[in-house]
Amino acid sequence: MNDLLNLLIGLAMGLNLVALGTSRLPSLIRVAALQGMMLGIMPLVIEHEWRVMVLVIAVATVIMKGIVIPALLHRAMRTANIDRDLNPLIGFLPSLLLGAAGMIGAVVLASWLPLLPEHRESLLVAGSLASVFTGLLLLIGRSKAISQVCGYLILENGIYLFGLLLIHSTPLLVEGGILLDLTVAVFVTGIIVDRIQRAFDSLDTRRLTVLRE
Amino acid sequence: MTMDGLMVFAVLVLVAAALSGAWLPRWWLALTLAGTAALLGAAFWTLGGGAEWDWRSGFALGGERLHLRLDAISAWFLALVAVVGGAGAVYAREYWPDRERPESAGRGRGWWSTIVLCMGLVLLCANGLHFLMAWEAFALSAYFLITLERERSQTRAAGWLYLAASHAGTLGLFAFFSLLAARTGSWELGPMRDHPELAPLFWVALFGFGVKAGMFPLHIWLPSAHANAPSHVSAIMSGVAIKMGLYGLIRFSGWLPVPAGAGWVVLTLGAVSAVLGGAFALAQNDLKRLLAYCSVENMGVTLIGLGVGLLGAANGDTAWGRVAMAGALLHVWNHGLFKSLLFFGAGSVLHTTGTREMSRMGGLWRTMPWTAGLFAFGSVAISALPPLNGFVSEWLIYLGLFDAAASHAQVAAVIVPATIALGVTGALALAAFAKAAAVVFLGASRTQAAEHAHECGWWMRGPMLGLAAACTFIALGSVAVWPAIQQPLGAWNPAWRGGEAPAPLAMLGAVQAALAALVAGAVVVLWSRARTNGVRRAMTWDCGYAAPTARMQYTGGSFSALAVGWFAWVLQPQRQLRWPRGPFPRRADHVERIPETVLERVIGPVSDVVMVASSWVRQRQQGHLPDYILYLVAGLAAMGALVVFGNM
Repeated sequence: MNDLLNLLIGLAMGLNLVALGTSRLPSLIRVAALQGMMLGIMPLVIEHEWRVMVLVIAVATVIMKGIVIPALLHRAMRTANIDRDLNPLIGFLPSLLLGAAGMIGAVVLASWLPLLPEHRESLLVAGSLASVFTGLLLLIGRSKAISQVCGYLILENGIYLFGLLLIHSTPLLVEGGILLDLTVAVFVTGIIVDRIQRAFDSLDTRRLTVLRE
Repeated sequence: MTMDGLMVFAVLVLVAAALSGAWLPRWWLALTLAGTAALLGAAFWTLGGGAEWDWRSGFALGGERLHLRLDAISAWFLALVAVVGGAGAVYAREYWPDRERPESAGRGRGWWSTIVLCMGLVLLCANGLHFLMAWEAFALSAYFLITLERERSQTRAAGWLYLAASHAGTLGLFAFFSLLAARTGSWELGPMRDHPELAPLFWVALFGFGVKAGMFPLHIWLPSAHANAPSHVSAIMSGVAIKMGLYGLIRFSGWLPVPAGAGWVVLTLGAVSAVLGGAFALAQNDLKRLLAYCSVENMGVTLIGLGVGLLGAANGDTAWGRVAMAGALLHVWNHGLFKSLLFFGAGSVLHTTGTREMSRMGGLWRTMPWTAGLFAFGSVAISALPPLNGFVSEWLIYLGLFDAAASHAQVAAVIVPATIALGVTGALALAAFAKAAAVVFLGASRTQAAEHAHECGWWMRGPMLGLAAACTFIALGSVAVWPAIQQPLGAWNPAWRGGEAPAPLAMLGAVQAALAALVAGAVVVLWSRARTNGVRRAMTWDCGYAAPTARMQYTGGSFSALAVGWFAWVLQPQRQLRWPRGPFPRRADHVERIPETVLERVIGPVSDVVMVASSWVRQRQQGHLPDYILYLVAGLAAMGALVVFGNM
């Protein structure tokens, strides 16, 4: 069970690097979606007996993160008719190197933390920290509004991974609530992106500095 | 009339005055005078041995019940507020009238009543929270009074400096009162001498009240504010407002226990303020700035008295501490009276010549004999020369210092230098006022404006005469004033309650009266001889010049050049000298400027560094969302590192 979980987390960490390395907006959205789906099936791997609630949450997560949110983002991208290049603030190679360094740092930090014995073997904490770091890196290093939404998605994935540590003590309903928030947030962002595009002819957040004070 | 009724009457009347000031000048004057008279009556009732007035209301402000109390210490300062508040209101009628200042006269009247009311409330509040509120309202109304003439950029700058310094002090007071409330569990104020853990709070109070009192390194706001404010405002600022800082120090050093070193520190700060204030005063060429620095000096003198009082209380409530403390309290009144008189006199000069530069005046006594006489009277008083009142209070402080030096070997180590400092201060003050009175009123007029000066009217002369009369009363009737001094003295330190006046005081009164009679007799004799024989006017020997001019007179700068040289290490005078060259020199000049040393050499550079750092931070504020996330991440990482390495 733990091996399968670690495999999935390892894949998710790999996807982090792909997200940092990709130069196209559609592929970034796809990576975030794929990572979200992997996370969605993790509760099924962790739980020993499959309760209905777990099943519902897993299916809902996969649908939301894997299908609904990416579809919304694609739609926003198409209607806003934006340039699909990412024009990064931090170059792709430096982002990759930073991401790799962050991943190593996450593993080291996870080994330092005073964790419960049953969590020592899994990559949950390391993967969670690495995803949070990747999300922040994307937020800092990419300037398009939609790529920033992807950064938030990956950041949330990291938090979700951390939440899985507590799967036995917190109800998944909380997780479900967070997911709903996120969906609404993405939905709203999709609309705002469209409006920004109409108002400013650009989606580059570097130009949205008028409201800084 | 009961005390409650009197107080309610005073507050209501002053509020009405503040509201009516802008439109009804006559009503305002009547109401302000009625309010200050009521305050004066209440203060004298308490000082005359009446019971302490303590009033609690069910009405809560900011979650705290209103609690006012008038004890002897409050009453001592309240009397000063009332006298100068009333005198200034009369003076302003002619000095700052509607027809000359249509823009600001009404505002000035309103704020005048407000500041009198707020200072009264500061003195009465017995709740820390309400004290802070009243203090802040008082500081703000002082700001609006200073900036009455706000069309001048210098005035605005002075106002800003005052506001900034005042708030730095208020910050200290916020710390003081909230720490006090946190440790005692209540905002209520009152005697808490049996809580030794409260002693360290004295240092916070010393900073907070020290800024307002103009103690030497904290005096930075004082010269420019007092110089640029209208003269009646300078009078209440210098005569009364800075005393509020002193009130705070006396009040809380009496109510709270003080740390062991408090007496030494206050004494040292007082000596430094006195000597350096005197040196700066002597070096000024601006009449009102000279008076302002002289306030720093007199605050120093008062602090010396307070310091000796604290030392005396700490060494077993000795008699010398009591005498010095009495001197400090009396000096509060004296300085309030004669400094207001001098600022009124300076205002009268300023009103007619339109300048504060002493080098543009000269020979004013011919056209303004009343102002010249009253200014000279005030100068004698403030230089602590007998037979006037400044001498009485400084003499009491000297008496305390001498007795302390004679009686206690350990204390003498700091008492003797302080005595010498007080002596030096007296000399500096005398030189400064000899300079001011001589350059402004004697000699020949240096400018057209000075030549065509005219005497002020009775509305301005009256308050000056009243203040001079009060000074004379204290000078000659010091024994009669003693019972009143004893009340705050006993409230400050219960061990000093009651007791006789020090024996030499009665003799001093007789000597003062004899001296005054001698001076008066000499004046009468000289006057009558001048009347009968006539005055022969001749030119001063002019070293053989064929055509002497008024510009060849001694200037204020040349008068004080020697003493400025002694204090060049702190005054740092900036000289620009262009020598006359060739046999027929076209032009030569010598410009000397005395910088505000503390402000320009210490506060200025420090705030420059702060400004550079802040503008660097501001450049990070560009509105780029990714940058903000980066700052967040950096901040989180720093906190994480702190947690990780802090535990190692």
